[in-house]
Amino acid sequence: MTETTIPRGNTLPRIRPWLGIAAAASFVVASVMALFWAPTDAVQGNVYRILYVHVPLAWLAYLAFVVVFLASVGWLWTKNPLFDAIAVSSAEIGVLFTGLFLVAGSIWAKPTWGVWWTWEPRLVTTAIMFVMYVGYLLLRGLSTDFSRRATRAAVFGIIAVIDVPIVHLSVLWANSLHQLPTVLRAGGAPALDSSMLLTLMVSLFAYTLIYAYFISARVSLERARQRRLWTQI
Amino acid sequence: MLERIGARRLLLIAALAVAVLVGTVAATNLAPNTVYYLTPSEAKARNIPSKQIVRLGGQVKVGTLKVAFGSPGTASFSLVITDGVEDVLVIADGALPGLLREGAGAVVEGAFLPDGTFHADQVIAKHDEVYTAPTAGATPAHRTSFP
Repeated sequence: MTETTIPRGNTLPRIRPWLGIAAAASFVVASVMALFWAPTDAVQGNVYRILYVHVPLAWLAYLAFVVVFLASVGWLWTKNPLFDAIAVSSAEIGVLFTGLFLVAGSIWAKPTWGVWWTWEPRLVTTAIMFVMYVGYLLLRGLSTDFSRRATRAAVFGIIAVIDVPIVHLSVLWANSLHQLPTVLRAGGAPALDSSMLLTLMVSLFAYTLIYAYFISARVSLERARQRRLWTQI
Repeated sequence: MLERIGARRLLLIAALAVAVLVGTVAATNLAPNTVYYLTPSEAKARNIPSKQIVRLGGQVKVGTLKVAFGSPGTASFSLVITDGVEDVLVIADGALPGLLREGAGAVVEGAFLPDGTFHADQVIAKHDEVYTAPTAGATPAHRTSFP
């Protein structure tokens, strides 16, 4: 049993429209830079440009699942329903972003590698990550009791985050087809031209705002749902 | 004392412990046990028998990529995969990947023939992690066309 009062906040709903506008505007800027301003790759030509979608989505999916982990810890430690709202919201966005970057990667892979998919370490661990967090969302459907559902999901959210570093390190641990990290790596500057790196950073900024906007809206929706459905939490 | 900490917090600690355990097991065991492809030296060391499906990975040796066109509609190509120590001659038929170039990486899947050459059902070109802009004014040396 947990506390009953869920306070209404009103700062976030006021800034959210501005966050949305900022997200949309930076997305347009990032897309224009990615499609037209960034140079073509000397080896791959224009097909590499999907990097500017694939990489930010991947990094934000990692972030989303780390947020699920932190919110799960928060729920178990403090029993505050806000943490459960954050956990489910971030998990949904993480699953969406993971699905999107898997598709983006596949679109890149066919003309470059020659196959849409192959069971190599990075792809396998990413597919596992996707399926696990879909499982997280399905797990929440098992119970209508709020705190049991939240506790069950929180335990799962804490264990499942282990796959996030495994996905990133998989290319370093085994012979793999997916390339080694270009930016997030030890020793050595990012292995791409400065204008490409700038475009990538602008894209990352845009997708981060999109994540922030989505999670703000989704948490607000979840809180409204909590108020409506569990007046006696 | 356990009641004061709370059942949920104990669950949290247990979950963290399991996560650390899973992470440690994965970190120590995944690296030596996941094999996506073998390098030519590893394949030779393991004495892979012929007809066993296996993947080899390495560099396409410069000067060895040969594409030959057989009867209309079919293409076969051959290349040598090397890891700097051992070479394997690979014969393939089927789609030539857009990014396959000499000096770059490739992964081939198929089986060894009794004479030591490798017949590949699938050839995958590997791209490294470096992205470079072309030199000013010049068009990129290689273009991948969307199939």
